[in-house]
Amino acid sequence: MMCEDCGIRPAKFHLMTIINGDRVERNLCPTCMAKHQKQIPGIDFSNLAGILNSILENRSTRESEREDTEYDALVCEQCGMTYAEFQKCGMLGCANCYQAFKTPLNALLQRVHGNTQHAGRVPGGVHSGTSIRMNIDRLKEKLQKAVADEEYEQAAKLRDTIRALTIQLERKESDIKVKPHERLETNGEEGAKENV
Amino acid sequence: MYEYVLAPEQDVVISSRVRLSRNYEDLPFSPKLTPEYSEEVIERTVDAVFKTENGSAFTLLRMSELEEDARSRLVEHHLISYDLLKFVNRSAAMVSSAGTVTVMLNEEDHVRFQGLLPGLQLERSAEMALKLDEALEARYPFAFDHQWGFLTACPANTGTGMRASVILHLPALSANGQMGAVMQTIAKLGLTIRGLYGEGSEAQGHLYQMSNQATLGRSEEDVIRALSAATGQIVEHERGMRESAEKKDMLQLQDRLMRSWGELMYARLMTAKEFMTRYSDIRYAASMGYLHAPLPGLDKLMMDVQPGSLGVRAGKLISPRESEILRAKILREELQSLVAE
Repeated sequence: MMCEDCGIRPAKFHLMTIINGDRVERNLCPTCMAKHQKQIPGIDFSNLAGILNSILENRSTRESEREDTEYDALVCEQCGMTYAEFQKCGMLGCANCYQAFKTPLNALLQRVHGNTQHAGRVPGGVHSGTSIRMNIDRLKEKLQKAVADEEYEQAAKLRDTIRALTIQLERKESDIKVKPHERLETNGEEGAKENV
Repeated sequence: MYEYVLAPEQDVVISSRVRLSRNYEDLPFSPKLTPEYSEEVIERTVDAVFKTENGSAFTLLRMSELEEDARSRLVEHHLISYDLLKFVNRSAAMVSSAGTVTVMLNEEDHVRFQGLLPGLQLERSAEMALKLDEALEARYPFAFDHQWGFLTACPANTGTGMRASVILHLPALSANGQMGAVMQTIAKLGLTIRGLYGEGSEAQGHLYQMSNQATLGRSEEDVIRALSAATGQIVEHERGMRESAEKKDMLQLQDRLMRSWGELMYARLMTAKEFMTRYSDIRYAASMGYLHAPLPGLDKLMMDVQPGSLGVRAGKLISPRESEILRAKILREELQSLVAE
């Protein structure tokens, strides 16, 4: 079972609280448990939690954890973070970690959010390259489904739209390639050349 | 009955907040952030924010340069998160003069934009945060992946990077033992609700914070809509409970609530905990029209007498007893002028 607060680390504590007479129960990991303990006045849990935690850490035989250790050795080349390190602190070291830990992270995101596909806004609004690329991905899925369902007329329409969008995207990307020069203008000619 | 302007649903909803988490794509995230890189985060953000349309309205506050009480005061007024203080050496905040927009720097993520408004105004709060987000991303690209959306240090925020929340005042639902049922229903909607103060053992002042859980797989608009709708339903429930309490025995309700007014007006020592109970009562009374005090004024006063804010006002380190004396004094004076207005 995963922690109900962060959804990232395995739950090791069961916290039951009475808020204004109502009982609320949560399964928490040691990190989130510590946060809750800080907010309970008058009782010092710090020692107790530490003792319990070390006992639990020593017999980490749960299946979910065994699965996770399989990826412990993964390393992000960009920042040097290992997957084991990430599991400990709950935070990634850089944007590239997402690629380096792709497989276990995808499973983790699915557990936490119940989804692995972003559906919100993209940088630069609807006409940006990213937005077009996401649109193409969506249409490709639709195309596959249309072919499978033998809806060939629909499939032909989708194929044309994808083709048009791909051309649009290629144009955009050739535009974008020029951009780093603009950003480095203030650094003078040399800065610009490095990026060519 | 009221002669002052109320924000939408302000009788139950104290405030609405939307936070967006972003990271610069080429800089290491929180666990690998060196002092040089955290300084780079501040430089870039300050440069970009100052160049926006209303950039001159922002003030940069480095946490390392503030006294402890001044930092707590910012948390108590919801201008920064408590977590920002975990990274005091490197963290900073840019606060707009109206206090409605804040940019937090070097917290768990490089940049967190926050829009904060009174009452139920999630759309507008989101607009304010998104406007700043768009202005900044045009200068320095944020980490983004076309499958996973905005990349954050903690995967719990990946996707939209958006956490929308409302602070609710629910004295009648609490008195009727309904909070357990409310919490269970809310959980099914992909939202969470918890006590705002004194979390763990009790929700002091009957104040609760409700926010979205997931950030991946739903658009910003969808999440805001769902949270607004759930808030609307809780507001209706709370109002219904308040009305039926009044119908049942108005005099008894008035008597119970207005006794707290008496305590606040004459007490010489007031602990933070007792104050929250009394505040909840007089806010309830004001919303029912038993007490002619403006809700926005009461809410501001509530934040002003929290421990950090008291310390800032005293201008020195004060003992617990001194803060109880000061709290009681401020309340006597300011409540008097609030009802006189």
